[in-house]
Amino acid sequence: MKGKLEPSERQKLIEEGKNLKDRLITLEDDLLKLTDELQLEAQSIPNMTHPDVPIGAEDSSTLRKVVGDPHEFSFPIKDHVQLGKELDLFDFDSAAEISGSKFYYMKNEAVMLEMGLINWTLFEVMKRGFTPLTTPEIVRSSVVEKCGFQPRGTNTQVYSIEGSDQCLIGTAEIPVGGIHMDSILPEALLPLKYVAFSHCFRTEAGAAGTATRGLYRVHQFSKAEMFILCRPEESDSYHEELISIEEDLFSSLGLHFKTVDMASEDLGAPAYRKFDVEAWMPGLGRYGEISSASNCTDYQSRRLGIRYRPESSLTNPKKGKGNLASTQFVHTLNATACAVPRMILCLLENYQQEDGSVVIPEPLRPFMGGLQIITPKSR
Amino acid sequence: MGLQCCFGGTTFQTLKMAAIPSLYSSSTSILRPVSKTLTFNFLSRPHGRSLPLLVRALSAPAIQTTGRTTTSPDDKVLRPQWKAAIDFKWIRDNKEDVAANIKNRNSNANLGLVLELYERLLNVQKEVERLRAERNVVANKMKGKLEPSERQKLIEEGKNLKDRLITLEDDLLKLTDELQLEAQSIPNMTHPDVPIGAEDSSTLRKVVGDPHEFSFPIKDHVQLGKELDLFDFDSAAEISGSKFYYMKNEAVMLEMGLINWTLFEVMKRGFTPLTTPEIVRSSVVEKCGFQPRGTNTQVYSIEGSDQCLIGTAEIPVGGIHMDSILPEALLPLKYVAFSHCFRTEAGAAGTATRGLYRVHQFSKAEMFILCRPEESDSYHEELISIEEDLFSSLGLHFKTVDMASEDLGAPAYRKFDVEAWMPGLGRYGEISSASNCTDYQSRRLGIRYRPESSLTNPKKGKGNLASTQFVHTLNATACAVPRMILCLLENYQQEDGSVVIPEPLRPFMGGLQIITPKSR
Repeated sequence: MKGKLEPSERQKLIEEGKNLKDRLITLEDDLLKLTDELQLEAQSIPNMTHPDVPIGAEDSSTLRKVVGDPHEFSFPIKDHVQLGKELDLFDFDSAAEISGSKFYYMKNEAVMLEMGLINWTLFEVMKRGFTPLTTPEIVRSSVVEKCGFQPRGTNTQVYSIEGSDQCLIGTAEIPVGGIHMDSILPEALLPLKYVAFSHCFRTEAGAAGTATRGLYRVHQFSKAEMFILCRPEESDSYHEELISIEEDLFSSLGLHFKTVDMASEDLGAPAYRKFDVEAWMPGLGRYGEISSASNCTDYQSRRLGIRYRPESSLTNPKKGKGNLASTQFVHTLNATACAVPRMILCLLENYQQEDGSVVIPEPLRPFMGGLQIITPKSR
Repeated sequence: MGLQCCFGGTTFQTLKMAAIPSLYSSSTSILRPVSKTLTFNFLSRPHGRSLPLLVRALSAPAIQTTGRTTTSPDDKVLRPQWKAAIDFKWIRDNKEDVAANIKNRNSNANLGLVLELYERLLNVQKEVERLRAERNVVANKMKGKLEPSERQKLIEEGKNLKDRLITLEDDLLKLTDELQLEAQSIPNMTHPDVPIGAEDSSTLRKVVGDPHEFSFPIKDHVQLGKELDLFDFDSAAEISGSKFYYMKNEAVMLEMGLINWTLFEVMKRGFTPLTTPEIVRSSVVEKCGFQPRGTNTQVYSIEGSDQCLIGTAEIPVGGIHMDSILPEALLPLKYVAFSHCFRTEAGAAGTATRGLYRVHQFSKAEMFILCRPEESDSYHEELISIEEDLFSSLGLHFKTVDMASEDLGAPAYRKFDVEAWMPGLGRYGEISSASNCTDYQSRRLGIRYRPESSLTNPKKGKGNLASTQFVHTLNATACAVPRMILCLLENYQQEDGSVVIPEPLRPFMGGLQIITPKSR
């Protein structure tokens, strides 16, 4: 239409232009809707799976390692609820009154045990090059979703705050994942290794039964969580490093446990591979999960928008500062260093003595003012 | 005071020594047939007046909501979700003092209305009593041999009395609820030594140390935190919103060190350490004197439930002995509770909120005492003394202030605040608060004790409740972590940008003596 035209030709072109414009508007609108629909559907596609992961349900999970054996007791043993009652360590009844079931107060030496566990764990993991963090426990629900959780599904594990788009975190994995949200990290910064301490809140909707007695399944607990951001080619080896740290920590405390390579149906959408540590809980008479180490590859980073710029691209003048073709998504991994209630459960049940007292494992004593044993109180 | 139960459909449970798990804990009442003017009890038993056991009634089914109040069927009166054991007779007998107190505290409690409702209540009670007596007379008359016409007359009379009774009993219920709602706003009385007036009338009790003179230009904690890589406010603003933060590196060790050291120090002084739930039912929050659902509320609520996040461990600790009678020998009960605290800080803005000074989430160690009434003044002195010891040990310069009447807050009879020198802010800032709440909270939480003398009197018997009293409760901040960290960073900074760790904390921080700038 830029050239010189006859009025009738011009008019024809104007109509053709308008016709094209209208069809474009409709199509662009379709595009928008399709993009959104595609996003919604595709977000449910789970992460790919490591080739060594066994296919199937929970009973297909593979045993990776066993440390120690179940301690043989020469006397009838008690579970942690009974020990807690006799040693005046917990109060579930008052908590049920003021908050509801699956809440608890910790008292006396149990408080010292929590402090000791958290402090010792943080120091041990810091020694291995992890940066200690405390995190917000209230976050926007979008961050929760980007990490692969469902704040608003039925049977959601997530507590929401009334009158806002905020939720309570169920794990420090969420706020730590959020730190580098929508960022491009220089490659030299990787790997980033954090050990984050936070309180965690879970609705435990749908969970019921004897496994929920006492401290095994609660709505609120303290946890130290390890989190790594790294280059893709390194995530498998950092996964091995994380599980190795966990196994060291639990061995140091004298626990008997097995490490399991979780089967495909038990992974959860974000995890490429997941190792669970199940410790022997003599009072329950079975193994119970005390920790989990997941390699989420780029599942979370694609949602959180966490990229890195490989160093080689900086030396290529043609690419220039704004060329994103050279950025890659990082891989993220997370692993429980210490989930306090289950650790306390394990320690009480495993270290109980015939007279009802409980021995404190050596590594924790310096963090508990030197306390060596929890004894029944005189009345 | 006064038996406050709802008639019609009540069931009773015997009150045990310890807290009772109950399906209806958010809507229970405490019954206390103590004084002679108590005339509520006949509501539940048409024939008798005595209720020998301290019982715990379930409120009528209408009260089953998540809100503080609910509307009754005819929509005229809001029903309170729980009832405080308020001593109405005492208020009436001391109304001048109560009125003066309300004025001194700048409270908008409506004493006139409370007194008026109470008078009406008493009158309706008398009338109900009278009608019941008449109905008994009629019932007795009907037992004898009667002419059919006489019997018919009596039956009509009986029915007429019954109808009038139903109406009056309904009025009584409404009056009781209205009275509760109005009376709950009446603030606690005030210690005679408390200065009357606004914040500037507060009295200085004590000063420890002086502001440290720096020989170089000093930085505030935000700048120090940035240079030492201790905090991240920006990422937190992204993922959570303003006034949230991450702590990193030595700041984490400082938090751990402060909490551990504080807990050990306070345990040494005979306090039982606790960790508490941080999600509680909103009724418990209200019973402690907070308003979960007011405008500008400090309280976060959980969607789809009647639960809230705690703003202080005072709330779950107050709740431990809710609805209990403690043996006197157990008192005093002294707790030091560690928890995370969550506050909306609605309405707070300005430079004072920069950095760690005012945040939505923080760690705190809180001391809480339950004791006999005659001892609360002296325990208040003990608590402030412990706080002053702790802060002196850390080398802080601070002043202790006896808060003026307008600054007390409804539950406190007397309140001491500790304000520490914050050189980076160039002013004093509150790092701790110690309140004596006397029986304000215990009347709402239903925490009583049984004095020992009553046990030796065989006549009184196990069930005689005339002897129980309300405990007094006190609470005091042992350590509010962000402001302590703010103080330590600003006061202990050195010219080269490093920060010295106070000696008492070093053993709890792996021996760390100084926080130094990191090489990049």
